[in-house]
Amino acid sequence: MHSGLYLRRSIFNVLALCLSGVATLIGLIFLGWILYETLVQGIGAMSTTLFTRITAGAEDGGLLNAMVGSLILNFIGIAIAAPIGVLAGAWLAEFANKTRLGEAIRFLNDILLSAPSIVLGLFVYTFVVLPTTALSHKNISFTGLAGGVALALIALPVIVRTTDEMLRLVPSTLREAALSLGVPQWKLTCQILIRAARSGIITGVLLALARISGETAPLLFTAFGNNFLTVNPLKPMSSLPQIIYEYAKQPNDTLNAMAWAGAFVITMFVLLLSLLARLILSRSKVSHD
Amino acid sequence: MHTGSETAVGLDKSLPSAPLAPTKLEVRDLNFYYNGYHALKNISMDIPEKKVTAIIGPSGCGKSTLLRIFNRIYAIYPKLEAKGSIVLDGENILGPGYSMNRLRSKVGMVFQKPVPFPMTIFENVAYGIRHHEKLSKADMESRVEQALRSAALWDEVKDKLKQSALGLSGGQQQRLCIARGIALKPEVLLLDEPTSALDPIATSRIEQLVEELKGEYTIVIVTHNMQQAARVSDLTAFMYMGELIEFDRTEKIFTKPGKKQTEDYITGRFG
Repeated sequence: MHSGLYLRRSIFNVLALCLSGVATLIGLIFLGWILYETLVQGIGAMSTTLFTRITAGAEDGGLLNAMVGSLILNFIGIAIAAPIGVLAGAWLAEFANKTRLGEAIRFLNDILLSAPSIVLGLFVYTFVVLPTTALSHKNISFTGLAGGVALALIALPVIVRTTDEMLRLVPSTLREAALSLGVPQWKLTCQILIRAARSGIITGVLLALARISGETAPLLFTAFGNNFLTVNPLKPMSSLPQIIYEYAKQPNDTLNAMAWAGAFVITMFVLLLSLLARLILSRSKVSHD
Repeated sequence: MHTGSETAVGLDKSLPSAPLAPTKLEVRDLNFYYNGYHALKNISMDIPEKKVTAIIGPSGCGKSTLLRIFNRIYAIYPKLEAKGSIVLDGENILGPGYSMNRLRSKVGMVFQKPVPFPMTIFENVAYGIRHHEKLSKADMESRVEQALRSAALWDEVKDKLKQSALGLSGGQQQRLCIARGIALKPEVLLLDEPTSALDPIATSRIEQLVEELKGEYTIVIVTHNMQQAARVSDLTAFMYMGELIEFDRTEKIFTKPGKKQTEDYITGRFG
């Protein structure tokens, strides 16, 4: 009597296992394919001149200005977004938790998190590029700074969200212990809770950095691009994703190969950031137990 | 100064017949509401100075809730409300003008689970002191040492003060939390089931410590371990469903309790 029931269960078990296995495989195949293609095409196109020459040389040039530009843009983006994001996340978790205003802001932040990046680019074009253009005697002022601001707007909600979540994971007993010593809320937040959630917050910042390092759209009308090497954030600035976008459209095999090389560099950068984030998280787990 | 016993006579039969010591905390008609739910009902009791008062009772009887009103830590959560009065050194700590800063430097608290701060052992103790007093480096060092000695932890940690407190064992962490509390030189020390997360050896060290500390501090300890209450306390309060059923000398509560409910509880008939 029971054997029929057991047989039916094992059939369902095998069936469910197969379906979920196939679903995983489909996902993995495409992911592996993308990585494989990037790796093979990217390594094939690698050369030292990529790191020493600028895009002004086109086929005979390199990607130096784009790489330097990307580093500077990402740096500006994180330098603006990290302090604001961590403080805003701390405010949400510690001062506005379970209040109506806090919930509303958390919801808006989630919307910003999934906002199309080109919209943020246009926003910065309207509120940074156009006003600075008006100030600088109508010379259209695309700048690295404007690009960095656009990237900061993309990184900001990621950092707010992770800081908020990491702080809310800190057990409330730690808050009670500090408050029962008479320590005020702001000291508790800045000196104890942020320290307790430190590794999670740093991971959030690194993931935000990984996210913005591949963004193209918000830079189109802000940093604009520059075929020459510049480190001046008040000048138009080149970036890797933008060069990939431009070179990949060209009917020219050499430029296409350089786009692959750029894609490879970004992928490696993001991979390193992710590994670093995992390392920081796993280390903190060991020391807390 | 209130002597406690004068106002207590005739108010509530559950108060100790003759006071052991002057009253430190005078609780009168205390009612507590969780989001509208009536959690503590008309509690009146006199907690004597420099004695150990234990609060026992089944889970959910309100013993931790009562303890958490003594330093008003409940106030960090919304929708909780305490009515009545708790007089500490002649002032009502539930009064609107009473400073939290002052209350919490006078009334220290140790929690169920040890909660060291994510910093060094030294900093854990120095952190609270630094907020209330400005001390020179040498004074701070001697103050920290004194607190760690009082908490019977000094010998175990004196060579690793610069290491993270998270590396200590559970029992050591709990003694560190006690050191952190007494470093502020409070007058009252609240212990909320301080040994429930510890093994028997660590538990007996903490109990020994309570014995040593009562010469200097008024101690209120919440415990669900009746043997512990019998071992460490001078007075025991039995609570049930938000009410204070009986409050008397510990030996009386455990040998000839005045109320049937108390007797049923300590003989294990419920709870």
